Amino acid sequence: MNDQPHSHGQPGLPSETPVDAGSQALSEALRSSFAIVKIVMAILLVVFLASGFFKVNPQEQAIILRFGKPVGEGPHALLGPGLHWSFPYPIDEYVKVSITGIQKVNSTVGWYATTPEQELAGSEPPPNASLNPAVDGYALTADGNIVHTRATLTYRIHDPIRYVFSFVSASNAVQSALDNALLYTASHFNVDDILTRDIAGFNEAVSKRVTEVVEAENLGIIVEQCIVQSIPPRQLKDAFANVLKAEINRSKVLNDARSYENQVLSKASADSRSRTNAAESERTRLVNDVSSRADQFNKLLPKYRENPNLFVQQRLTETLGRVFTNVQDKILVPESADGNSMELRYLFNRELPKPKTEETKP
Amino acid sequence: MNRKPLTLVIGAVLIIIFGLLLFVFQVRKSEVAVVTTFGRATRPITEPGAYFKWPWPIQMVHRFDQRVQNFEDKLTEGLTRDGFNLLTSVYVGWKITEPTNFFPKFAGSTEPIAEAERSLERLSGNAKRAVVGQHDLADLVSATDDGKNFLVIETEILKAIQSQLAANNYGLEVTFLGIKKLGLPDSVTQSVFEQMTSERKVLTDKLQFEGEREAQNIRSDAERRASEMLANAEGRATQIKGEGEAEAAKSLEVFKQNQDLAIFIFRLNALEGSLKDRSVLIFDQHTPPFDLFRGASPNLLKK
Repeated sequence: MNDQPHSHGQPGLPSETPVDAGSQALSEALRSSFAIVKIVMAILLVVFLASGFFKVNPQEQAIILRFGKPVGEGPHALLGPGLHWSFPYPIDEYVKVSITGIQKVNSTVGWYATTPEQELAGSEPPPNASLNPAVDGYALTADGNIVHTRATLTYRIHDPIRYVFSFVSASNAVQSALDNALLYTASHFNVDDILTRDIAGFNEAVSKRVTEVVEAENLGIIVEQCIVQSIPPRQLKDAFANVLKAEINRSKVLNDARSYENQVLSKASADSRSRTNAAESERTRLVNDVSSRADQFNKLLPKYRENPNLFVQQRLTETLGRVFTNVQDKILVPESADGNSMELRYLFNRELPKPKTEETKP
Repeated sequence: MNRKPLTLVIGAVLIIIFGLLLFVFQVRKSEVAVVTTFGRATRPITEPGAYFKWPWPIQMVHRFDQRVQNFEDKLTEGLTRDGFNLLTSVYVGWKITEPTNFFPKFAGSTEPIAEAERSLERLSGNAKRAVVGQHDLADLVSATDDGKNFLVIETEILKAIQSQLAANNYGLEVTFLGIKKLGLPDSVTQSVFEQMTSERKVLTDKLQFEGEREAQNIRSDAERRASEMLANAEGRATQIKGEGEAEAAKSLEVFKQNQDLAIFIFRLNALEGSLKDRSVLIFDQHTPPFDLFRGASPNLLKK
């Protein structure tokens, strides 16, 4: 467009030029400088338009504002990663928003005053006798106790237009919401639930509450994860540790008692089993004994009936003979001449464990 | 002559640009603006876009950030209805809604936002004191109501601030409010610690006592069950023996055929059984068959 009138003007120029050499030189100079200005302007225009190119990185999205108003409605206003072009300022203006990255906020409103160095070293400042509310944060529990609790919240930006254009500092708002959720949840949990009995429940409740608050405040984010950490006040470390110790001790005492229980019961059951077993065998023995005797009796009875006296004598002698054969030591004490019995001393000193002695007298 | 239209076009464009710069202004999406005519706020602009105005010095544009500002007030002390000293701090999300009202109140300062927050601080301080004074400590901190009263208190503070804002035409709006910090005075924390310590002590003792008692119960229970088991076994054993005896008694019928013989056989068996092991027998001449030594056979011979 610049070249067209330029080339047209060129041939017409000489006819209108005055003869004056001076003014001719001037118009020559003007013409050439005008050409330079035109080239410079063309370059400037190109540079101006080219400055409208901008790049959106993979973790970002961009919005173009034309005269301050977003171009496009809702999600259509968002430009994805890649190269884009807009009119340069003051017509258009682009704003980049980092979205896919996970954002993170920490709440330390319920934590004692500490420094990053101490935090890294894992040490804690020495406890004072009391907590200064301006410096040391804490949460009040439902049962009127004091605990320290802190949380880390990770979230994604789900509505970048809202996140950027509706809040001066949305991340601050998220952090405030997290602080609030911690205090709120702690205020209706008991200290033992927060610290030991229901840690997961407390975490869950904080997470639920912060989600509610964030939604109510319409921050345009989605809560990914909320991790809560709680400890008793440093001033009462020992007292809380003692409770823990007592709890451990209690389960130890109970375990001891249970193992004693097992021992006693298994011994009792073994004992009772052997008791009944003994009775069983006693019964069997008794029954067998009697029945074998009955058999013997039945066999002997006819013989006895034939001749009782002879039978008795025969059996007696036979048995005695057998008995005496089996007996290891046999000592006969003959009757003395005056008819009195003799005195006999016997030393029971056998090496074998159970010597049986029997004395039979007629 | 041929160059003239081009020059004219360029000149016109330049004039238009210059005119636009003088007469038109933009308001971004994140802003609100107020147009002042000779210093008086005359036209509020709450929607983004390009707008017309008379050039300076007739009209001027004042832009403000209309996004939600995050404001946290200082800890303030207030007495609850039941006489506890409670320190509270709240966070507030607020924004400028009516620039025409906002402008005359705060724009005089170099930092209108900070100036507005100073006003908010005053309002929230009053609101907190008033609301906390109408509640017991147990409303804020309690296991019984699931935190419902906590939310009621927050809403009441919010309402109090909102009504003050509306009454005074600040041109601001508080969109949300929450308690950010709750505390007790320094000296009170110490007595809370004492109370907590004694509570822990009670808990420790209770655990110990309970453990011992429960252990004792388990032990005595085990002993009771063991002795029950043994007693049952004893009973069962007696019963078994009794059964055996009853069974044996049936066989005893046989012996009734001849009692003398039966008794004789029993005695022989007993004698033989008792002298089975290593034993020492001391006897005299009266014991058969050793009565032979004494002359039992001569009797027989005499016969």
